[in-house]
Amino acid sequence: MPFLAYIDPGSGSMLLQVLLAGVLAVPFFFRRVISDGLHRIRGNRDGTKRGEGGEDTTDR
Amino acid sequence: MVDPASFRDPSGFVFRRDGSLYRQVQASGAADWTAFRSTGLYERLAADRLIVEHHDQPLELAAVSGSVAVIRPRMIDVISYPYEWSFSQLKEAALLTLELQARALDAGMRLKDASAYNIQLDAGRPILIDSLSFELAAPTEPWPAYRQFCEHFLAPLALIAHRDARCGLMLREFIDGIPLELAARLLPGRTRLNLGLSAHIHLHAGAQRRAANEPPPAAGAQKPERRISETGQRALLDSLRRTVEGLRWQPSSHWSEYASTTSYSDAATASKGEIVREMLASVGGRSAWDVGANTGVYSAMAADAGYRVVAWDQDAASVDAHWRRVRGDGNPAILPLICDLANPSPAIGWALEERSSFLNRGEPDVMLALALVHHLAIGNNVPLPGVARLFARMAPRAIVEFVPKEDPMTRRLLAARRDIFEHYTIDGFREAFGGPFRIVREATVADSPRTIFLLERR
Repeated sequence: MPFLAYIDPGSGSMLLQVLLAGVLAVPFFFRRVISDGLHRIRGNRDGTKRGEGGEDTTDR
Repeated sequence: MVDPASFRDPSGFVFRRDGSLYRQVQASGAADWTAFRSTGLYERLAADRLIVEHHDQPLELAAVSGSVAVIRPRMIDVISYPYEWSFSQLKEAALLTLELQARALDAGMRLKDASAYNIQLDAGRPILIDSLSFELAAPTEPWPAYRQFCEHFLAPLALIAHRDARCGLMLREFIDGIPLELAARLLPGRTRLNLGLSAHIHLHAGAQRRAANEPPPAAGAQKPERRISETGQRALLDSLRRTVEGLRWQPSSHWSEYASTTSYSDAATASKGEIVREMLASVGGRSAWDVGANTGVYSAMAADAGYRVVAWDQDAASVDAHWRRVRGDGNPAILPLICDLANPSPAIGWALEERSSFLNRGEPDVMLALALVHHLAIGNNVPLPGVARLFARMAPRAIVEFVPKEDPMTRRLLAARRDIFEHYTIDGFREAFGGPFRIVREATVADSPRTIFLLERR
């Protein structure tokens, strides 16, 4: 499917985004695993998953 | 009448009829609009005040044929633009944009653009005004608005934080956001050591440069299909958020300290406050513009008197301090914005109709110009009749302070220059302002040579 957006995403920007998404996914994934694990160990007081910045990082 | 700024996205447009604002969804945007409603994304965003709420309207109200829906969004009090926002305002708008994209991904959709002009400051917080900004997309498709986000938000924020607050004004020149290769050249070299800025600005500029040097694709060639992982999509968003949150600006300016370094005695301050309060009460309006508001002492007075106030000031540091204060107090009645009255925001964009000039942003019931006229008349050489004419274009009533030459603040302006202002006297003021205005009242500020006028447009 070609991009539906009406704005020009820019071919250089798209290429960079694909690269960055690949690189950033690794630390992001592990950060999430670690912070989820920590919360499971500590017990979940308010029933929501909390990210390290204090914000709700629940995603599916 | 179709809004002249509403032409970029073919899936719909904004139009005005009988003073109300409507948005029409075209057939090409039908599937996205249905999904936006059926996934509950709209309701969730509206409930959290992240998007402006709207009412569905009958299709007969459509401005042109081919419409699948017509809505009437709530109108925002005063439209403002990113080049009138201080660092904190732009940063909050950036974080809202990322939050909207995250929420859209949760609903199987995405934000299809990341224009700063889709955000407005409303009742003390940023809000999305473009109800048609969401489209269906697989989470594995790259975000088409990535580049726009970097140009509209990240580049100006980084330039303000790492170079100079006045870089925010560059948005007035670059309506599509600051070109990344320009931002990369202007940012200090040390920003390459910041992971986020290095990736989203410096590398990004390089990627754009390389892509521009590629030969064009063959005629009829398939567009390249690119995929990212869903985790990668979230990681990119998370990286942008961290990069924006990591940007800080420590404003310090002569103006934001102005209120505490002025020469007024306590008696003069009290007397001035009393006069302004009385005049505001006698006007009995609902909206006020405080021009040259500094950090907002008199804006607060107007807000206390029941006015909704726009507090304009040319100094980014004062506006930022003012915004953070009203934000902290949870006072939604005051909106601080950046404007230099000697050179206010022009009309810009396509046919000069996309973004309105400062003088076409509506009219308040009353304007306050306290300790301002001497800066325009002496600091900027504008003859008093010129000042009076501009004020009369801005508001039907004005509360204006005259600061004569013997006042220490005016003496400071004249300290290093020849006094070429023979008409800058209280009689000269009465004559100049008596043209476009009727002088309703004049009150002398106790323990000071200053006079405050209440004026009504003829």
